[in-house]
Parts: sequence; C-alpha cells; structure tokens
Amino acid sequence: MSGEFVFVTFTLNGTLREFHVRPEEMLVDLLRERCAMTGTKIGCDVATCGACSVLVDGAPAASCSTFVWQVDGCNIVTIEGVANADGSPDDVQRAFIANSAFQCGFCTPGMIVLARALLDHNPAPDRAAIRAWIGANVCRCTGYEMIIEAVEQAAAARREAS
Amino acid sequence: MNEMSPRLHVVGADLDRTDAPAKTDGSAIYTVDISFPSMLHAKVLRSPHAHARVLRVDASGAMGMPGVHAVLTRDDLADVAPTYGYFIKDQPIIAIDKVRYIGDAVAAVAAETEVQAVAALEKIVVDYDPLPWVATIGDAMANGAPQLFEEEPMGVVPAYGQGASGAKYLGNNNCYRFSYETGSASAFDDCDRIFEDRFVFSRDHHFHLEPFVSVARMEGDTIDVWTSCQNPFPLRKELSRLLKYPENRIRVQVPFVGAGYGAKNNCKTEPIAIMLSRKAGRPVRFCMTMEECFLTQSQHAAILDVRTGVAGDGTLVARDGHIWLDAGAYSDASPLVAEKAGYRLPGPYKWQHLHIDCDCILTNTTPAGPYRGFGGTQASWASESQIDIIARALGIDPYEFRMKNLKDLYEAYVPGESGIDSDLRAGLEAVAERIGYADRESGNGRGMGLSIGFKDAGGVNKPAQARIRIATGGDVYLQCGTIEIGQGIKTAMSQVVAELLNTRLERISYPAMNTDYTPFDQGTNASSAIVVMAMAVQDAVLEAKAKVMAFAANQLGCSVDEIELEDWTIRKGNESHPLNLMIMRYYGGTGYEFTGEGFRKAAMDHAAPLETQCVSWEFGWGAAEVEVDADTGLVQLKQLVVSGDAGRAINPRVCRGQDEGSAVMGLTGALFPCMVYDGATLVNGDGLNYRVPLATDIPEGFVSILQEQGHGPGPFGAKSLGEGCMLPIASAIANAVEDAIGIRIRELPLTPERVLAAIDAAK
Repeated sequence: MSGEFVFVTFTLNGTLREFHVRPEEMLVDLLRERCAMTGTKIGCDVATCGACSVLVDGAPAASCSTFVWQVDGCNIVTIEGVANADGSPDDVQRAFIANSAFQCGFCTPGMIVLARALLDHNPAPDRAAIRAWIGANVCRCTGYEMIIEAVEQAAAARREAS
Repeated sequence: MNEMSPRLHVVGADLDRTDAPAKTDGSAIYTVDISFPSMLHAKVLRSPHAHARVLRVDASGAMGMPGVHAVLTRDDLADVAPTYGYFIKDQPIIAIDKVRYIGDAVAAVAAETEVQAVAALEKIVVDYDPLPWVATIGDAMANGAPQLFEEEPMGVVPAYGQGASGAKYLGNNNCYRFSYETGSASAFDDCDRIFEDRFVFSRDHHFHLEPFVSVARMEGDTIDVWTSCQNPFPLRKELSRLLKYPENRIRVQVPFVGAGYGAKNNCKTEPIAIMLSRKAGRPVRFCMTMEECFLTQSQHAAILDVRTGVAGDGTLVARDGHIWLDAGAYSDASPLVAEKAGYRLPGPYKWQHLHIDCDCILTNTTPAGPYRGFGGTQASWASESQIDIIARALGIDPYEFRMKNLKDLYEAYVPGESGIDSDLRAGLEAVAERIGYADRESGNGRGMGLSIGFKDAGGVNKPAQARIRIATGGDVYLQCGTIEIGQGIKTAMSQVVAELLNTRLERISYPAMNTDYTPFDQGTNASSAIVVMAMAVQDAVLEAKAKVMAFAANQLGCSVDEIELEDWTIRKGNESHPLNLMIMRYYGGTGYEFTGEGFRKAAMDHAAPLETQCVSWEFGWGAAEVEVDADTGLVQLKQLVVSGDAGRAINPRVCRGQDEGSAVMGLTGALFPCMVYDGATLVNGDGLNYRVPLATDIPEGFVSILQEQGHGPGPFGAKSLGEGCMLPIASAIANAVEDAIGIRIRELPLTPERVLAAIDAAK
C-alpha cells in the first residue's frame, strides 16, 4: 500500500467530481463509502457476478475490480444516475418495474445498467442478443426470462419513442 | 372459510411490485448498506485444518495492530453459552477445543477498516494438533472413523406423531435419525417386482448475492442488530440464550434481504458482531466475503437407497428407503432437513407400506443447512428417477405409470395426514402436453423426461401473528414478520389487505421487520407465508374492518348490513360518508387508528406424523427435453417446462418469477459442478470458480405454466409456491437422458465427465 494519493477527475452521473484517492482504492468503495451511492452492490468481489456493474464511458464495468484511478477522465453512470432528468424512471427501469424483472433486487442495479448499455449500443437487439448480453451478470432469483422480456420491452419502447 | 369479495379488483391482478421503485433506482437499503459513525469492521481467522485440536490461541499480537479495537477468542466465551444449533447445540461461536472443518472460525478482530482487521488476523498465533478427518458420508460412517464429537453435545429430539420418530447420536458421526413407517412390511411379499437403486446427490451452495452480514451496536442496555436474515425472532431467542441477555433487550431489524434461499436462518455473523461490539464499545459490521459464505453454509449432499415393490399390473405397493445426508461439520438444521427428506421420499403416490430412515452424518466439511426444497430436492431426485426406472422395466410409459399411481385430489398423503390439495394428474398433463411428451421421438441422443417434485409446505406447527393499523385517513400499516427476501411477499400480502379493505394497493405499507414492534413469527421459510401468515393477516384485516364498520354504523345510526366500505368511504345507499371526517368528529381532530390482530396455527394432532397436519402440499411438475452428445457426454437442455399450482395467484407475475427462479436454481444441482472437494478442501468456493446458471445457460424452450386450481388453504384459495419447481428438475433431466441414450445415471450432477463415463461403461 502506498501513502501517496492520486488526484482523479471524472463525471459521475452527469456531475464533474474530483477526488484524492489511494492507488488501491476501488471504484465500488468510493461510490458506496464516499459518494453515498449504495445502489451499486458487491457480490462476488472478483468481477464475475456483475452486482457491482456501472457504466464507464457507456460500457459496463465491474466496479469491484476497477481502481478509481483507472476511470480518470471518464464518464461514470451508476444506478442512481439512470433515471430521466425529471427523476422519472428511464425506459429500462420502467420495463423492469412493469415486468417484475427482479426479486431480491440485489443484482438489479447491475442488471439495469447492463441492459442500458446494450440498448445504448444496439437499440434493436433480438432475444438471442439480449440473452447473450444479460449472460454477463448473475441473477440467482428470477431464472432470467422476465429480465430478458423486460429488456425486449424496453427496446421496443425506445424504438417507438425514437 | 375465506371471505370472497364479489369482485376482486386487487387480488389476481398483475400489479407492479410494491418494492419496485426502491429496487430499481438503487435506493433499497440492505444490511450491507447500514453504516454508523465510528463503525468498526470484523474479520474472522479461519481454520486451515479440516480437523484439529486447538492447543493454543495467542491473540496478543493482534491487539496492538493499527486500528484494532477488539479481539475475540475462545477465552471470551466464559460468560456466554458458547454453542448454538437447531435441535443440537454443537456449533461454537468461536472454536473451543477443536476445529472441525477448513473455515471454522478460530478468532475475530474488529478494526477501523477491513484491511486493518485482516492485517491483525495475521498476528494471531494458533497452535493446532491436526487430527484425521472424514470428508464423505462413506468415510464418516466407517468403523473406526475419526469422530467429530467425542462427547455428545446437548440437544433434544422433538415429539413426533403417528409412525414418525427421531433419535440422536447413533454413533459413527451419525448425529440424528428421522424414521417414518406405516403399514406392514409384508406388503413386499405380495409384490411381483422389487426394485433397488442407490442415488447420489451433490451439494450446491446458495450463492445468495448479498453475503452473510450484520451490524451490531449497543444502545444503552439494548443490543441493536441489523442483519440479512430470514428468521429474526428465532435468531433473537438464540442470541438471548447464547449471550444470557433478555430477549426484550435484543432488537433485531431486517431491511431488504439480498436473497437467502434458506441460508439466512439462525446465527451466522450476529454473535461475533455483537460480542466484538460489546468489547469495543463501538458499532461493528461483520460482512463476509463470498468465499466465507461458501465456508459457512451449503446444501446437503446425500446418498439415497430406495427399494420399491410393485404389482405385476404396475401398481406401486411398498417402499423402503434409507437416506444419508452429509451434514457437514455441525448439526445445524440437519435434523429438520432429515425429517423432511425422509417424509417426502414416498412422493405423491398411493402406498400400502412405507419405511424410511434418514440419517445425518457429520463430516469435516462446510456445515449443511436449510436450502430451498429442504430435503425435498434430494427425495424427489431419487423418487422420481426410480419411478421412471420402474415404468421402463415394466414396459409402461412413464407418463401412464405416474397417472396410474398418483394420489387423488384430497386423498390423505399418509394415515393421519391432510389431503393432497392439487390435482396431480392435471399438472402432469399440462407439462407433458406442452413439451410434446406423447409425440416425442426417443433415442438417437434426444429424449424427454417427466418428474413431479413434491413437498409438504407451510412448516410444521407454525404459529403466525399479524397486526393491521388503519390511520385516520385510511392509510394502512400491515405489520407481520414475513421477510421480503425477494419472493414478493410485501406485494402479495398488501394485495390481500387491499382486496379485503376494498381499497387501493398504494394505501398499504408494510414496514420492515423490527422485533420490538413487529408481531412474532417463526421465520420466512417452508413456503409458509401465503398459507399461514396470510391467514393471520386476513384475520387481522377482518377484525379491523369489523371495528370500522361497527363504528360507522353507530355514527350513522344504522345497522352494519346497510353500509359498505369503499376506499375509506362509507356507502349507505346513495349517501357517501368519508371516514376521516367521521373519525375526527368522534375521536377529535388529532385522529385515531383502528387496529386488528390475527393469529393462525394448525392444531396439534398426534395422529399426524409430524404432530400437525400439513397445511398445504407443494408441487412442481417438470418436463425436460435433452440432447446428449455421445462423444463429449454434454447434456444440452433443449426444452424445460415447469409448472406450479398457486391455488389462486394473488399476483400471477410474482408467482411466475418464483416458479422460473426455482426451476433455474434446480438446474445448478442437475447440470453444474456444485461444490467440489479435494479431500476436505473445497476447491471452487468463490465467485470466479463456482458456476451458477447464467441467462446463456437457459434454453429458449424454457417455459413455466402457472396453474390456479383453486384448492389452496390460503386467502382466496392461494397455495404455497416458490420451492416446488426446483424439485423435479434433476430427475426430469436424468429421465430425459435415459430416454435419449438408454443409459440411467443415478448420480448428480450430470456433468459431461459423468455422462461420458456412463456411456463408456455401457459399451
């Protein structure tokens, strides 16, 4: 461990933020402990389960295994930042609500940002593409079908709106 | 008798879950999110030995480490009752004379950061005298095997009813036996064929994403505990006994729970967090890593010998069974799981004679405890595999063979028991039809299999209490001890309340569990909430509503028959009388709350084998289609059709999630490696190496069919749900494998290695 601090600047849910961080400080710890954003969860802590997923420049990343210094200059979106500007749920959140695509909810923030990344890159994914994409994260509760249907519905809603 | 509203407007509707906003915007608070100023973090030193005497624990080096405020060793157990457990109190808070598995807790540290706590653990010196260990059921039962307990720990055998019995400590690491017998063994004499098979079941880990975690702090003389837990009242009682502390000075609070699947019953992190907090004089958080969760609780591996006699015409006659459960290093819930595995082994068929013994064998591995299905998964695996074996040997189609022998609707399960509250044949027909079982083309590597998972649901002898409070303006508090663990119970219970009060779902709030205020409950388990607690809730609502109606009738000078309640307004013919105004006129402008209490418990009944009749019978009908690659042994699931019977679905979407989630959980034990041991060392106990089903593992042909047969004992005919559909998965797949390649595999999981070995052996 180093006693040196690193100065890091990045955009967090639309706001430019500056932090002095220890070199070994993990993004998830910074979010949860210093930014009061506890929606991002730690599950496996080895970048496998995806409960800690956040978007880094639009791509999902495991914040449990991302050093804060790695996101210097990046645009970070967490579950707290996915809602519409007026605070209403975005299309993915709405679809998760409408399909009850969650149970215990512990994986849900990660699943929602994961799905959001897919739709931002591919507004018309078919079921196979959604399944493959959602396969990155673990949900032990739902059996996945209702999550896949929620993402399908969100994609359809987004296409309709555009 | 259920009160059936003439027009259900809330029950049966696919309403959004009441926890949807909090769980989709990141604001839902779980125990991992609880934090206090000056809170310390606990870490535990774990045994590197599978079995050893603990000669010396010297923690003096840890105390001076940076940030360390308290250290806990066996020396701190003098003033407490040091061991816990369900029937047998054998698990120490911290290892005392011995460690019994790799991962057993030896010492704990509370420091200002987790990193400091881990660094301090390295300064604790422990001298061990390693002992021979046993890591499998067979080794543990062998004559001369090392014994995990040289002296029998204190414990009890509960009372059982007709035909059932229990015994503890039968020697050779056998810590508990459940037995059940009915009818005469001479029934075997009349059988034309007798089938004997041994089945082996592996062990899954729950893989709940929120780890075992609690935060403890002292507030004056009150111990405050926040914990990710599914039975806070029994936990409170156990903590009270352990710490010799009054129950009403221990306050257990449970926020949202990041799932449990059975694992989050009884003591996990709490005793250590509390003891460290009391020593340090600061709040202490003990949050396990996923690796530690693997070393704390697992499912039961099992060996099941099943002997079944059948008449020449294909009528099932008699079944003997002997089950050995791998209990791991401590008894934990094993006696209870044994009771259920043994009792469920017959399956939902007509028998003249049954005799089942189920033993709990201690091994030097992770303690096994409650896991969704609770012994029923192991029992269904063996029973439903053998049903297919018998049918094929007799030349009868497995579907027809089941249809012939299944229990009828309302037929008693065994003498003294309640009647089966589902039409079993209707369920089997539904999944068989959907998958196309009758028209299947068996062989050439492709085949289909059926199975009926079965369990008694609702818990044994379980009391439930609930309270309703209705504020002046008609906003409702539902207070009951069922934990929202993901199953959607807040939504379902609230729908029941809204329906009975003829109001909107948004009117109902369901405050989080706090043992200081919430009415008592024995725990969120056994698929009991909708058939036991929901009835207490219904009683509470009806009592409160009766008070409201009597009050309103009195105020209006009419009889209760002349008025109706509609969203906190009293309708009397064409008149409309807002209740809030009536209340304030009578009770004053500061308002009032109407309250109602509810209580339910099945009657004690010694004629029933488990001392109360089963509240509800839970089923999961399953049908699988597989393709088996003869060159690699890979079993590819092409279709999986499952079905549960909700009786009456309070919220069909939530019910569907339960059925599909449990089915996919069942896939883990069927097709995934599960917990792999090299000797007594768990080799894949972490998130990276342990495989649970992912979305990409689920075939497009995965379908659930929600039945609402209407025979359930819960509100509006509701039945238990949520465990049934995991029960038939493994056997349906093994039955499909035999249909595909003509080879019967009796050991789980059906990994490519095992299937390939079976194919090679058959050549």
